[in-house]
Amino acid sequence: MKRFFEPSYTTWLHRANPALKLILFVALFVMTMFVHHIDASFYLACAFLLLLFVCSGYPLWKTALLTAGFALVFVSASLTMILFGKGAEIWWSFGPIHISKESFYRGLHLGFRSIAFGCQGLLFVLTSSSTGLFYALMQRLKLSPKYAYSFMASIRLLPMVGEELRIRREALAVRGAGGSSGLGGLLRLPERYALPLLAQSIRRAQRTAAAMEVKRFDAGRRRTYYYPSPVTANDAAALLLLAAAVAAAFLLARNLPVFGLGDMRMDP
Amino acid sequence: MSTQISGAGARRKGLTLTDVLVTVVVSLVLGVVYHVWSSVYSLVSVLFVQSDELVYGMWFAASTLAFLLIRKPGVALIAEIAAAHLEIAFGSAYGIQLLLYSVVQGLGAELVFAAFRYRKSSAFVAGLAGIGAAAGSLLIDIYYGYVEDYATWLLIAKYAMRAVSSFVIAGYLMYALAKLLERAGVTQSLRPVDRKEYDALND
Repeated sequence: MKRFFEPSYTTWLHRANPALKLILFVALFVMTMFVHHIDASFYLACAFLLLLFVCSGYPLWKTALLTAGFALVFVSASLTMILFGKGAEIWWSFGPIHISKESFYRGLHLGFRSIAFGCQGLLFVLTSSSTGLFYALMQRLKLSPKYAYSFMASIRLLPMVGEELRIRREALAVRGAGGSSGLGGLLRLPERYALPLLAQSIRRAQRTAAAMEVKRFDAGRRRTYYYPSPVTANDAAALLLLAAAVAAAFLLARNLPVFGLGDMRMDP
Repeated sequence: MSTQISGAGARRKGLTLTDVLVTVVVSLVLGVVYHVWSSVYSLVSVLFVQSDELVYGMWFAASTLAFLLIRKPGVALIAEIAAAHLEIAFGSAYGIQLLLYSVVQGLGAELVFAAFRYRKSSAFVAGLAGIGAAAGSLLIDIYYGYVEDYATWLLIAKYAMRAVSSFVIAGYLMYALAKLLERAGVTQSLRPVDRKEYDALND
């Protein structure tokens, strides 16, 4: 799995400071959330899909594999709104289902937007490492080391939880208590799985944390870091790249509209 | 002797590394259990439209459970963020979005606990905190999914189910789990020491 998530080449986005990149992508998310025109959301989805293929640093087939799920996301984001959204110009109705012109295009707009969100999120995730992000947050945004090291340590504890879950499942099967189906078995799931896993993990977390406290992982901010996390020209390049993608999408939406519809909300 | 007392005082107030790590791990384990549970989720979602809201409370469970175990300000928010962090760490395309959701949901739960001045830790208060988190998710849904443009019956049904599920799962179910953990003896060393326990030493 780790091999799979190793980029084969790096771009400006990989070399940019992860903390600043996080701010950039959160801003991008908020900006996308305030896009209410279907043309803009359509072109945003296209622009970031293109950027994802060019800049994620992964071979074409891998990126295609990762984006294949977006088809399902598109359907699930748009379907409820298409079938049950408010609208005046009814095209088709059956029982509680009313497909109107407004709800149909609003649903498509939500679908395009969710693809844009997905591409942005994937672009961030594929170009950053978790460790790099926390080192950058400590150094650039003054995140307290106790939070950063706790989050980083939790990643290391995860495989043990998975292993315990597997052992627990097999132990219950051996004792003939695992496969009870139906509502009764369902309701006993928390007691059978959550309780032993939580008890084990909390105890382990306490031991780990005690060791980390003794080793002064929670000491103050006057410290040095194993991985430096500087701000470089790559950050400016990443900013310009993302801004260019957004600007291109908005310009295309204005000059080359596909749908030519107004605000997608009922009463904006 | 005096250093001992100031140490105990510091333990009572702010979050220590132990508190943070335990909170993050609680969130992580519930995440793993949730993925086992997600077979239920997909089973429920074919029942009727939006019925997956009936298990939505599971998303807020970590924040109330962490508070019921540790009982300090801030853990509900950290538990929510830890859940989003897990998604980012494992390459989910919706990590950034979940991060924003988690912050608002965590603040919703924190507000409820803060309204009781972090003193009450009953199942009812935990349930209210679950509803607080659900209210936070509604706030973002309005911008993210235009939910106010759903047909009115659907809008009400969707969020009523979400509120009920949050109240039951994040409240009563997590309270029961916390009680079980208490019986298993893992909570004594987690909680801040009460003043009355110090007083009991003097008696």
